[in-house]
Amino acid sequence: MQRLLAPEVLASISSLDLLAKTVVDGFVAGLHRSPDFGFSQEFAEYRAYTPGDDLRHIDWNLFARTERCYLKRYRGETNSQLTVLLDASNSMQYTSGPPSKMDYARYLAAALFYLSIHNQRDAAGLIVFDEDVREYIRPSTRPGQLARLFAGLEQTAPQARTNFAKPLQHFQNALHRRGIAIVISDFYEKPEIIIKDIASLRFRGNEVILFHILDPQEIRPAMKASALLVDLETDQRIEVIPEYTRTAYRDRIDAHIEQLRSLARGAGMDYQLLVTDQPLDRALREYLTLRLAGD
Amino acid sequence: MGLLSPWFLIGLAGLGVPIFVHLLRRHVTILRPVSSLMFFERGVQSSTRHRRLKYLLLFALRTALLLLLVFAFANPFIRRPASTANGHMHLIVLDNSFSMRAGTRFPDAKQQAITLLAAKPHDARAQIIALGGQLQILTQPISDEAQLRSALEGIQPGDGRANFGELGRVVRSLTETVHSPIDLHLFSDMQRSAMPGNFADMVLPPNVKLFLHPLAEGAIVPNWTVESVDAPADLSDPKDPKRSRVHAVIAGFGTPAATKTVSLVVNNKTISTRKVDIPANGRASVDFAPLAVDHGFNRCAVKIDAGDAFPADDISVFAVRWPDPERVLFVHADGDTRSATYFAAALAAVSKGAFLLQSTPSEQTTDIDPSRFAFVVLSDSIALPSLFERALSQYVMKGGGVLIALGTRAQRHAPIPLWGAAVQDDHNYARAGSAATLGPIDFTHPVLLQTQPQQANNSSGGWGEVRVFYAAVVNPEQSRVAARLSDGTPFLLDKKLGEGHVLLLTSGLDNLTNDLPLHPVFVSFVDHATEYLSGAQRMNGSTLVGSFVQLRSEAEPVGTVSNSEVIDPDGHRPLSLNEARTAQTFRLTRAGFYQIRFANGRDAVIGVNPDRRESDLEPLPKDVQQLWTGSSGNETSQNPGTAVAEDKYQSTSIWWYVMLFALVAALAELALASGYMGTQREDA
Repeated sequence: MQRLLAPEVLASISSLDLLAKTVVDGFVAGLHRSPDFGFSQEFAEYRAYTPGDDLRHIDWNLFARTERCYLKRYRGETNSQLTVLLDASNSMQYTSGPPSKMDYARYLAAALFYLSIHNQRDAAGLIVFDEDVREYIRPSTRPGQLARLFAGLEQTAPQARTNFAKPLQHFQNALHRRGIAIVISDFYEKPEIIIKDIASLRFRGNEVILFHILDPQEIRPAMKASALLVDLETDQRIEVIPEYTRTAYRDRIDAHIEQLRSLARGAGMDYQLLVTDQPLDRALREYLTLRLAGD
Repeated sequence: MGLLSPWFLIGLAGLGVPIFVHLLRRHVTILRPVSSLMFFERGVQSSTRHRRLKYLLLFALRTALLLLLVFAFANPFIRRPASTANGHMHLIVLDNSFSMRAGTRFPDAKQQAITLLAAKPHDARAQIIALGGQLQILTQPISDEAQLRSALEGIQPGDGRANFGELGRVVRSLTETVHSPIDLHLFSDMQRSAMPGNFADMVLPPNVKLFLHPLAEGAIVPNWTVESVDAPADLSDPKDPKRSRVHAVIAGFGTPAATKTVSLVVNNKTISTRKVDIPANGRASVDFAPLAVDHGFNRCAVKIDAGDAFPADDISVFAVRWPDPERVLFVHADGDTRSATYFAAALAAVSKGAFLLQSTPSEQTTDIDPSRFAFVVLSDSIALPSLFERALSQYVMKGGGVLIALGTRAQRHAPIPLWGAAVQDDHNYARAGSAATLGPIDFTHPVLLQTQPQQANNSSGGWGEVRVFYAAVVNPEQSRVAARLSDGTPFLLDKKLGEGHVLLLTSGLDNLTNDLPLHPVFVSFVDHATEYLSGAQRMNGSTLVGSFVQLRSEAEPVGTVSNSEVIDPDGHRPLSLNEARTAQTFRLTRAGFYQIRFANGRDAVIGVNPDRRESDLEPLPKDVQQLWTGSSGNETSQNPGTAVAEDKYQSTSIWWYVMLFALVAALAELALASGYMGTQREDA
């Protein structure tokens, strides 16, 4: 099943629904074989009935035997709220081979939605942004929420530039309860600005995860000759020699990643670098680890 | 420099391809989108300059490769001097034979050879050979013009005879070690008489190209010469009408009938003159008698006032010796007078006063010095005083001759003087009832040479009638058996001791042990034994240039000192001190009188004349010359004046070198292009 999680395989699946189901089922099946994770919707505990509790959760069989009302609690019933903030700027359409960063981000978001709603019964919502908020789907557990989220993902097309401040402001206004906020972006901005804009998400007790999506060519570009590079967001052009990409560029991108990772952890956020040629399980595992820690 | 296939230059149009690719086609920069430029820096100027520089080098290599390929197919050539272009070696052969003295042949030939040498390419090798008598290789194959010119100018006209067969043999042996092409330039009068009997001897190897430079062309030059002279070498009595005469033959080559004056010159004095009518292109003989000579050696010549273009052959020299009488020591046993009588009678008959016999008993020889005698005869004298025997031994070692006759006094086991062995046995055939006769006889021995059957009346030359009644038996080891008796007993033996000879007759000379003294063959035997033992068997008074004289009989034993001496016609001594000690033979290379002292102490004067075949100045027919040049490396005879000019330069194709450069350019282009366009491996 791990083979099915490979990005190049996922790129051949057109339906996000099917893709998300494939990823998550394969991922969960893989977790069952692992002794470190005992996650399932199994029985958690009994609790004495107190007035106001939902009568649907009373274990009537136990009442028949003991004539006492106990509520049957499951782990899944410790529900949360997942909000994915997806960067849909032009830089996300860069690709050196399928899938593109945008597609990889869609797969990741779809898998997270599926895992959250279908398996964890958490509310899930989506904010698509570039320099402004382009799509907002309120977190919910209602039936059809998953379809709405997938539709929102499929309608997302990269455009404009990235600006974290405005969409995060909108997110804070719409947020009424604590949950998990996942930011999926290539983070082409100064790390101090990114952390400064995102750090406000933590104020209401939200857990924040930064998924840094990069193409392999962005980390280790291979240039045979000098080339004229075009910025996808600004359309600016400069000519670059291969020697630079083999030396200084690598140092600078590595320093950028490391600084972003360091600042994120310093701000109490989780950071995960995802390269588009890597499977999605690392991202899902990161989410579940945080989800379990929040229970 | 030129092109053998210039139409291949059309391929130069292909140069447009690299020109278009590198210079005319615009460089298209491919746009490459990136997510953000925030980590990139501009690097335009250095990149473009570096790229264009590299591409210009690649363009130059590709252009050079295409240019060289087209050039190679056009087959370029360069004109180089023929000799250096293909490694030809010049073999300059200058004929300095006797006939080249005619007119201005030799100076002309030498001048032509020097001219050819001057026209030789500077770095071409050449070798100088003189063709006259014995072929002389004067230089090794060298390119030093000064040394070559010096060798050429050092050649002087000689008295030898040219032989084209000898030239062919030397060149064939030369090409066994030199495999490069050889241009043989022969400067000669191309005498017909220089041609060997077999044309195949003249044929040159395939890698030798013959260029003839004949000096004598046109009509045959008439020439009279003293073809031969017959005169006695020794003349004991100048008034002897039978022997004291000179017979000369005058010959004309290509001459009309004419009357010529022939003179006999003795010791630079003309003593007689004759008029002789010589037929056209024929011969006539003339006799001079008597020959008035002085005692000792007389230098004589027969001259003709030919008045032709070749005066050098108008004289023929010869030497005549009128010797003083020499004494012969005859040692006999006490009481034996018969043997001396017989021997003296025979000696007087043949020597005509040249030898006087001094007879003495063996007991009285103590104080006698054998060196004062022409030779010594020991007749039945086995026992000799020791002093005389020692003196006799030294006398023989220095070249003296001794005849030993063993009579009845040679008892069994008695040591034989000088022989180094004893009498082993004796055969008394008289007691057996029948005398022995002579069996196998070696008529090649000098003593018996003139008595062989063809020159005698009977089949055994007179020896067959000789009856032998007594003979001693001697071990024939280390000696030559000249005659044996019918039972195989050695009869006449010859042993060489030092420079001298010892003849051993195993029977006596007294008419008791055999009847040899009564037979005419005894006179002949004494005559030739006298010549043989006295050394009077000397060469004729005249000989030809190029012949050899034997200075000593064999290589000198260690410690023995006996010099020989040669004085050439110019009065020089051609032998060095070492050669005077060791040389066995000497080659007579000059015409004139040679004065020679042999190792055995005897003197001789020899008149040396050029080979008269050199006097025939008729050149080789043209067809034979063409056949000769055609049989060598070239196919037709060349005009000597134009042959050098035609082959002065030769076209040499250099396409192979051009292709080699093209290969180097291709390899360089390959390396450079792969460096530019190869995939660059990413660092880990």
